[in-house]
Order: sequence, then C-alpha cells, then structure tokens
Amino acid sequence: MGPFTASVPKVMIPVGNRPIIEYVVRALVESGVRDILMVIGYRRERIQSYFGDGKAFDARITYIPEPKQLGTAHTVRQAKPNLDGRFLVLNGSSLIDKQFVGDLLGHADGPAVAIKESERPQEYGVVTLRGKNVVAIMERPREVTSNLISTGAYILEPSVFDLIDRQAEEGRHDLPSVLSEWAKTTAITAVESKGTWVDARYPWDLLRLNATALLSVHDIRAGTIERGVVIHGRVTIGEGCTIRAGAFLQGPLSLGPGCEIGANAVLLPSTSLGKNVRVGPLTTIANSILMDDVNLGPSSVVQDSVLGSGVTSRAGLLAASGPADVPIEGDYHAVRQIGALIGEDSELGNGVSVDCGTVINERARVASGARLRGTVPAGAVVL
Amino acid sequence: MCGIIGYAGQRSALPILLDGLKRLEYRGYDSAGVAIVGSGLQIVKDKGFIANLEAQLTPMTGTTGLAHTRWATHGAPSKVNAHPHTDCHGKLALAHNGIIENYITLREKLEAEGHVFKTETDTESLAHLIESFYHGDLEEAVRKALHEVRGSYGIAVVHADEPGKVVGARNESPLVIGIAPGETFLASDVPALLRYTDKVVYMMDKEMVVLTPGGALLKDLEGRAVHRDAQRITWTLEDAEKGGFEHFMLKEIHETPKAIHETLLGRVANLELDGLLTEDATSVKLVACGTSYHAALVGKYIFEEIAQVPASAEIASEYRYTQGATERPLVILISQSGETADTLGAAREARRRGCKTLCICNVIGSSLSREADATLYTRAGVEIGVAATKTFVAQLIVLYLIALRMGLDRGTLGYEEAERLKDELRSLPRAVLAVLNKEPMIQDLAEVYGRDARDAFYIGRHVNYPVAMEGALKLKEISYIHAEAYAAGELKHGPLALITKDTPVIAIAVDDPTYEKMRSNIGEVNARGARILAIGTEGDRELPKFADDLITVPRMSPIFSPVPVSVALMLFAYHVARLRDCPIDKPRNLAKSVTVE
Repeated sequence: MGPFTASVPKVMIPVGNRPIIEYVVRALVESGVRDILMVIGYRRERIQSYFGDGKAFDARITYIPEPKQLGTAHTVRQAKPNLDGRFLVLNGSSLIDKQFVGDLLGHADGPAVAIKESERPQEYGVVTLRGKNVVAIMERPREVTSNLISTGAYILEPSVFDLIDRQAEEGRHDLPSVLSEWAKTTAITAVESKGTWVDARYPWDLLRLNATALLSVHDIRAGTIERGVVIHGRVTIGEGCTIRAGAFLQGPLSLGPGCEIGANAVLLPSTSLGKNVRVGPLTTIANSILMDDVNLGPSSVVQDSVLGSGVTSRAGLLAASGPADVPIEGDYHAVRQIGALIGEDSELGNGVSVDCGTVINERARVASGARLRGTVPAGAVVL
Repeated sequence: MCGIIGYAGQRSALPILLDGLKRLEYRGYDSAGVAIVGSGLQIVKDKGFIANLEAQLTPMTGTTGLAHTRWATHGAPSKVNAHPHTDCHGKLALAHNGIIENYITLREKLEAEGHVFKTETDTESLAHLIESFYHGDLEEAVRKALHEVRGSYGIAVVHADEPGKVVGARNESPLVIGIAPGETFLASDVPALLRYTDKVVYMMDKEMVVLTPGGALLKDLEGRAVHRDAQRITWTLEDAEKGGFEHFMLKEIHETPKAIHETLLGRVANLELDGLLTEDATSVKLVACGTSYHAALVGKYIFEEIAQVPASAEIASEYRYTQGATERPLVILISQSGETADTLGAAREARRRGCKTLCICNVIGSSLSREADATLYTRAGVEIGVAATKTFVAQLIVLYLIALRMGLDRGTLGYEEAERLKDELRSLPRAVLAVLNKEPMIQDLAEVYGRDARDAFYIGRHVNYPVAMEGALKLKEISYIHAEAYAAGELKHGPLALITKDTPVIAIAVDDPTYEKMRSNIGEVNARGARILAIGTEGDRELPKFADDLITVPRMSPIFSPVPVSVALMLFAYHVARLRDCPIDKPRNLAKSVTVE
C-alpha cells in the first residue's frame, strides 16, 4: 500500500469514499457494539481527526497509542487496561459488514476465530481444525493443508493476556502463535461467516473493496448538476459538487463533496472520487479510485486505476487497463485487469502515458510526454 | 448536521426542548423550530439563532413536544423550510434528519390524492404520507409510512389528538432514547439529554420508539417489541470531545485540512455572494481584531494581487473612532465568533458611512452576520481552544474566494489565470497536510528554540509579514514568551539592537520575489549570533547555509504560502507551550470571543 500511505495509515485508505476502517466501525455499531478501543500508531492523528470521539458514528471511541508496532498480539496487549470481559478483536484494514460481526458475536461463549475460505491461503494464516475447534493457525505456511484462513477477527477473553506476555518474553508478538498455543489448553471455536470480509493486502485489492463497497451506495444528488448531464444507476453526488453539461455518469459511483466534473466527462462503474476532486472535460474514468484532492486534467483515460490523494495530472493522461505483472516489493504479481497505481501528491505533466500495472510511488514528478512502466520510486523526477 | 429532541413527561416541555437544542448547537444550524402538544398543536419556527426563536415564543403550555435545528445544505435556510413540518390540517408535526430519496414520487402521489404542500422539502412529503395512513393511531401510521420510504431518517412525530406521545424512528441517522422517572426523551445526540438523565438506549436502524411519560417502547418496523438494556453514560463532555488529542488546540490544528475542504465546498466553481455586487466597489477595507486582524492584513495583499483592487486593513477598535474618508469602500469585517464587540461597532460605523458590508465569521446566525449586508461563513467547525487556529486559515480561504470572484467580476482577472488560481486553492488541504506530517520535527525544534527562551522575534516580508505577526501572537498567547514580529526590512531601522545570541529568530523565507532580500536580512541577524529557524520552500538548498534550522512547505504561488506557513507556526507555538506546561486551551486573562469593547 506504500504509494497510498505516505500521509495516512492503511486503515484510512478510502474505498467507496469512506476509509476502510469506517466500514468496521459501522458494522460494529449496527451490531450494537458501541464501545470501541482503537489501538493506533503511524499517522494516528488522521484517525483521531476523522472519528473524533465517535459521536458522529454513534459510537464511543477511545484511542490507545501504540508507540512501537511489534505484532498483532502486542497491539491487543495495549488495550489490556481498558478491558475487563470478553472482547472482539478486529483488523481495521478489512472490509466487513454487519453480518460478519453478527456471526462472530452469535458464538455464545469462549474464545473464537472468524474463518473464511480463500483462493490464496498461502498468503494468510491457515487454520487447522478438529471438528469446530482450532488446532493451530500457521502464518503463511510453505505447505498449504487447507483453504480455510483466519480473518484476523477474534473473540478473546482477558485470560489471553498472560499467554501474550509469556510469548512476548520469548520474542513472539503475533496473535496466531498465541492462539495456536492457547488452543492446546482452551477450546477456541472457528466461526465460518457468510458475511462480507474483503482483505486489502495489495493495492489492486482496493479496487475489489471499492466495487464491493459501492454495491450499497445511496442514490443522492446534491450540488449543482448542469443541463444535459445523464445519470444512470445508483450515484452519490456529494454536497457542493458541480457536474458540468454533457457529463455521463453510470452508477454505481460515489462522488465526495466539492468535486467538479468537467463538460462531457464520462464516469463509469465502479468509481469513487474523494473530496475536492477535479476532473477535466472529456475525461473518462472507469472502475477506479481517485482519492481526495486529485486534479485530473482534460481528455484523460483512467481505467482500473488508483490515484492517491493530491495527485495532479495535466491534460491527456493515458492510464488504460490490461493484464500485467505488477512489481510489489521485489515480487511480480500477475493481475488480470489493472491500470496505473499513482502514489499521493505525484505530479504528472501533459500527455503522460502509463503502461498497465505501473506503480508510481508518492511525490514523483513526471515531465510531459513521458511513458512509464515498472516502478517509479518515491520523490523521483522523471524527465 | 441537524439536531432533534423530543420529550414526553409531566413537566412543561418547552424549556427542556430549548435547552436540548442549545446543547446540539455545536452541530451547526441555520434555522430552528419547536412543536408542543397541549391544548392542540402549537408550532413556532424561524431561521437564525435559537435566541430568535425564544424571542417569538408566547408561553406554550404542554408536556409533550419536539424541537429541531436545521442546517440547510441545499435549499435556502428560511422560516418555511424550517422544521417541524406539518400535515394538511396542522394536527401532526414532524422533525426529520436525513434524506428521503424517493420523495418526488411520494409527493406526486400524495398531491394526486389531494394533499396540499407548503414547501419544497423532502420532509414534508413524509408528514403528508403519515397523515394519509392516520386513523387514530400515530404509531401505526408512522410504521406504514416508513414502509413506503426509501432513504435515511431520524424522525420525531407528535399528533394533536394523542397528547403525551412522541413517536420516533431511525434509519442511518442517529437517535438515542433517554429514560428518567416519569419522563422520556429522544435526541440525535447524548449531550442534549445529559442534564436530565444518564440512562440511555441507543436506537438501531429500522427501529421505532413510542415515548410516553411512563416509558419508552422500542419496536422494529413490523411492530415487534425489541428489548435492549439501557446504558449508563459515564463520560463528561470535555474528555470525549478532545478525540484522543491532548488539547483542543492540537485537535483543531489537525482539523485544518477539513476546515479548508468545508470552506471551499461548492464555492470554487461558483461563489454566491448574497447579491453583493463586488464590481461596484472601488476599494476594499478589511476590519477586524486580534488573529482576524492578521487575516485582514494578509487579505490586503490577496485583494491587491488577485483582484487588483486597492485594499487596506484596520483594527476594528481604531476604525470605529476615525473620521472616515469620503470614499465608499466595500468593508469586509472578520470575526470568528461574529460577536466581537469592536468589530460589531465597526460594522455599524461602516454602514453609517454608507459602505456595503460583508462579514466573514464562523458562527451561523451571529450578531455580525445580522449586522452586515452579506455573510460568508468559514465552516471551520466549532473552535474551543482560545487561540484561533483552523479558523484563521479558513478566513484566509474565504478571502481568496472573494478576491477571485471580485477579479472575475471586475475583469481584472482572466479566465485562464483564475482557473490556475482555483487549482492552487484546491491543493491547499494537501499543502497543510504536508506540514502536519512534519509535526515530530517541529516538536523537536520547539525544544531547541522554546525551552528557555524569554523573547523571540519573527520576521517576514510582503504577504508573510502579517503571518509573522500571527506566529508571534500565537507564541505570546499560549506560551507567555514575549514575542514580536517585524517586517524584515525594518530590522535595520531599530529592532536589530535587540538581537543577541539568546533571542531566537523565526524567519519566513519562502520562494517569492522578496526571497533574496529575506536571505540578506537573515544574514544580518546571523551576524549578531542569534539562532535562526527559517520557514522555507521544499527543495531550497541555499537557505540552510544562512539559517540554523529549516522547516519547509510545499512550493506554490507566494500569495497562497501564508496557509501552510501559518500552520507550521501554530504547531511550533503549540509545542513550545506544551513543553512549558502552559494551560494551552485556556490561557490566563484571555477569552475566546471578546464581547466587551
């Protein structure tokens, strides 16, 4: 997620125009869980500024800063002083819904782990079961014995803290190790949920989360919609938006407040535009995320792409979609349909052409007429 | 963010409802209304302050009622659009938060059935829809109506024929029930209830409630009873509202990007100026006090550069007592609260002189906004810390917007140039975020510069001279360090005598036409041995040779640089004061809004 986390923590990356963690908060509140402890670290002010005391979300949120991130068990340990009974543990960077939380809460007593079938279990904690009970959770095992994975969502009891402390002394700080050890003495139930759980691991996962989130987008038309604008499907147009004449909008779409969509622009499913986004005339965007404050010039084509907050691009950006091997942290990942991944505050000149699957990291400056492929490092200047 | 409160009990409902409304004020509003069921149904509503409403109230007797504050987002704030809304016969009153998505269809159907609508609001169609189902049972009528409604709602409904009963329902718009002996409450937020009870039940989506003095019955939309235990509220208002920040001031500095977004909302593409014709003005006079005066001083440069109109700034308490020239400038009055006594006096004086007045303030319905010909709100949200932070930046944003509009109206600003300026304006939230991301480094510098300082000097030129003044004021206000700001060119005319190796100097030297001059001023100070903290532009390789330390802001047109630079100086002052254990949110001798002359 590197290109999109220079100024925000991963959980604050927007999909369907809301930070991922907001879906978690909403799922909790809708399930009647209102007392929420957020253990926060990197760029924590962004989370605090967004949620405040939680009132706007019908919740009461207490923040617990974690100065050093050692592992998930260490994170949970920070909340110990605020906990006196069974508690839910959820990851802020997976999209979940009310049913997912409800299924986990429906499990009456004792600790529990929410599990899911996965197409790529090797990237997660693989769960071994005996009946309904967990035997072990193996994080990213070399040999995959099952396609059932831990979603990282748990019901725990304060008695787990002793074990967390003991493992910490041995230098182990992750919850799967703690639970595997705990399972030897305590029955930990595996709960398979039919609810939504979409994990954001790689930047292109964001497009999947975004499309999922937009399935429940509301039909709201605020702002100024000029004559000759055609809108199909469910589209949220935020307050203070201006949609210029001749624009074509096919939902599901979500436009945040204060966006300006130029004349004859085309917005296709499933696209989210954040706050204060400007789209030039004659630009086409499909299945993409444009985060807050993006300024995309006229006559551009953006498909299956993610543009981080504050990206500016002059006229004629070409970021079309296709199959590609995307380089992430030295590994190549085959992705079926992908456009460009453009990091926060990058500035692109006129007529920049970006090959499918190109990763441009944050604050890159790209001169007019450049053609990009592969990876552009953070802060790089491309002439 | 609208607010709802409902009451069913044995006491007179009116004072309880009005008190509840005041506690929801922080959500912002532009109109308010009350409905009381006593002998019949009585409704009073109006735009503006709750105080306006109070003034109109003949004593309304009745022990059941509801009240609402509305914040118009689309559709004008007006008396008729204010809630509560009624049915055709004035027997039913409804307050609603949220959006009814299918209201047009509902309205057409209801009008065909003979219902007569008084407003354009979506809420009114819901009132008529409930009426169409009403046969003596309000609860049943509301339930049937909600089955036909698509959208979000938090509602409270009363009916003249059923005194002692309030029906509520929620879907994606918060509502909370309050329970006390012999009375029950409904509110969109807990603070409205805290004075009367700490026992609350949170409602969930697609739930209804029937309030009577005897208790609250919670049901789902099918009419099945829902059981949920009441919770006890243990938190105090202040703790909760800091949202994990150590002080309100820090919380509010971090809210600056949001304040800019909100202030720009819907105004970059087209700024509505309440019919004020800016092309008629031959000059602009900006009048304010304190931090707002510093915004006014920056405004002078903004108007001269962007709109190419002569502009000057004056302190309100001085302006009031001058004779006044014969010209008739557009007078822009700036005040966060809109209640500053000196600024209010200046507004009256300006009107007496025959000037058009435009006010910039942050509090909807404030006295100043009632005094001026037109008002532009800063929409920065509530500011609790006494030292102004996000509201100062929001004031600058409004000044840029007015200058843009004025330049376009007067033809002094071309279309292409305006578009370029708008792009820069839109990029300011990011520029501020870039500064906020430097907080750890600024905190370290506060330690170096502020720990033992007794005096500090701020220098700047051109548009950043008033920003230096504001930086010095922030430091004075909250850290009690004696701080002064000078136009850098004035140093050699006197203040240089004060510079020693023990007086830190904060110098603003961003990339603008005065940059070279600033650098030589920094050199002069350097030669006297003072330690220099410079605020410069990202990528500047020269400045570190002249200054000891450097905080950078993103590159932009110089006229916009006060926005990120002022935020850097706020963070610096905050961390100095924090190190020195000062009462940051409530400095000695100072009040948030100065309502005395």
